Amino acid sequence: MADSVQELKQALNISGDAMVDKPDGSVRLVGSKCSACGDWIFPPTPVCPECMSESLERRELSEIGCLYSWSVVRIAPKNWKTPFIAGYVDFPEKVRIFAHMVDIDPECLSFDMKLRVCKAVVGQDADGTQIESYSFVPVEGRN
Amino acid sequence: MRRVAILGAGMVPFGKYPEKTLSEIAWPAVKAAIKDSNIPKKAIEAAYCGTALGGMMAGQRILKTLGITGLPIINIENACSSSSTAFREAWIAVAAGVYDVVVVIGVEKLTKFGGGTLPLEKEDFEVAHGLVMPALYAMRARRYMHEFGLTEDHLAKVSVKARNHGKHNPDAQLREPTTVEEVNGSRPVADPLKLFHCCPSGDGAAAVLMCAADVASKYGGVPINVVGSEINSGKYMTGFRDMTSPEITVRGAAQLYEEAGIGPEDIDLAEVHDAFSIAELLYYEALGFCPRGEAGRLIDEGETSVGGRIPVNPSGGLLAKGHPIGATGVAQIVEIVRQLRGQCGDRQVEGAKVGLTHCTGGGVSGFDHGVCSIHLFSR
Repeated sequence: MADSVQELKQALNISGDAMVDKPDGSVRLVGSKCSACGDWIFPPTPVCPECMSESLERRELSEIGCLYSWSVVRIAPKNWKTPFIAGYVDFPEKVRIFAHMVDIDPECLSFDMKLRVCKAVVGQDADGTQIESYSFVPVEGRN
Repeated sequence: MRRVAILGAGMVPFGKYPEKTLSEIAWPAVKAAIKDSNIPKKAIEAAYCGTALGGMMAGQRILKTLGITGLPIINIENACSSSSTAFREAWIAVAAGVYDVVVVIGVEKLTKFGGGTLPLEKEDFEVAHGLVMPALYAMRARRYMHEFGLTEDHLAKVSVKARNHGKHNPDAQLREPTTVEEVNGSRPVADPLKLFHCCPSGDGAAAVLMCAADVASKYGGVPINVVGSEINSGKYMTGFRDMTSPEITVRGAAQLYEEAGIGPEDIDLAEVHDAFSIAELLYYEALGFCPRGEAGRLIDEGETSVGGRIPVNPSGGLLAKGHPIGATGVAQIVEIVRQLRGQCGDRQVEGAKVGLTHCTGGGVSGFDHGVCSIHLFSR
C-alpha cells in the first residue's frame, strides 16, 4: 500500500519515471533494456539482475499486452477504492506487469485478451490527494 | 554434521490476544516446550526467535520473563518463514557442534494491526499498486482453474478438510466444521477466493527444544529426529512465470528429497503452508504427492484427509489453526512432533513415522515466494 503519492512515486521511480505521456494522449510504460544481455526489466533499474551490467537503456514497452490472470479485489488497505479489478498483463518484451484495470465489466475479462496501458486514478492518500498511476483498459474500447 | 533431534514442543492456542504483549503471548509456549523436553533451562545454550512483525529483540523480550538470558539470542525475520528459518539456523548450529541444546521460538501478534490483509513492504512497486496477498493467490487460483479445470468446489473442499481437522485440535483458532456450501457462500475477498478460502489473522507462539542426538538420551523422552532441512529464496524473474507451479517449492523439495534420501512416497503426513485454499492444492503437486494437474482429484478422493493416503495439515493448517505469521513455521513442527509421538487424539495419523513441514514467505514482486523452508522429521 502506498499511503501517499510520494510513496507510490518512490516505489515506482527506482530509476526515473516508469510511465510517459505520448503526444496523442496515450501512455507508455518505460522499462530498462540491458545493453549487455538484452533482458528487459520493469520498472526501470540501474543494474541488470541477470548480468549485473549497469549499461541499461530506458525504452518504451509496447502499448498492448495480454491478460495472464486477474481478480476482483474486495479487501485492501483503505486508500484503495474497493472493489477494484487488478491483473497481470504480459507484454511482448517478456515482462509481466501488475496493475489495476479500469472501464471494464469483470464478467467480460478473459485469458489472453488484449489490454492497453492507460493512466487512471486508482486510490487516494490520507489527505485526499488522488493517486494516479498506470492501469489497463480493454483494447476493444469500453465494455 | 551431527544428527539432531527435538526433545520438547509447546505452543499456545492460536487466536486473538489484543490485550497481551508479544512476550506475554510467547513465554507460555517456551515454558511448555522446556517442560515437555525434561531439559533444565540452564542447559539451553542459545535461542533462535523468528518473528516478522514483532519488533526489535523479540527473543530477549520473551526469554527474560523466564530468566533465560546471558546466552546468544538470535532474532530472525523472513516473513511467514521467520521461525522455520530460525529452526534451520538452529539446526545448522547444533549439527555443526556449536551448541548441544537450543530453543527455537516462533511468535507473532497480528491483532496490533487491527485486522485486514497483511501489511506488506511499501517500497515494493506491486504493493504500491494495491497488490495484497489474497489478490496474488486469487490470480494463481484463477489461472490454475483455467489450465486444469479446477472448480470452486475443489477449493472449498480444502477449507472443509482443514476445519474437519482443526475441530480436533485444541490449539486451532477455528474449530467449527464447515461445508462446501458455506465456504462457497462466504464473503468474497478476491475473486475467486472467498473468506473461508483465507487463513484467519491472529496471534500465537510456538517453541521447540532441539538438541544433538547423542546427548538426547541424557534427558529421556522420545527424540524426534530432524532428517532434512532445506531453505531457499525464490528465483527473481521480471518476465513470465508459471503461476500454477511454485518453482521455489518444486526446487526446494527436490533438493531436500535428494539430500535426505527420502521421497514423497515415504512421507506419512505433511504440514504445508495453506495460507489460502489454492496454495495447498499447488503444494500437493510441488511436493510430489500427486502429478501435475491432479490436485483436485486428490482432495476429491480424500487422500489428504486424516485416514487418507497422505494426510496434509492434520493440525487444521493455516486455514483452521490460524496463521500468526512468524509463529507458523515452528507451530508446524510442533504438530509433526506430536503426530510422530502419537499424541494427537482424534486427528492422529496412525502409525506416522515420517513427517514434513513446508513454510513459505512472500509479498515481494518478482518472486513466487521470497522464501521457502522445508523440513523432514522421523521417529
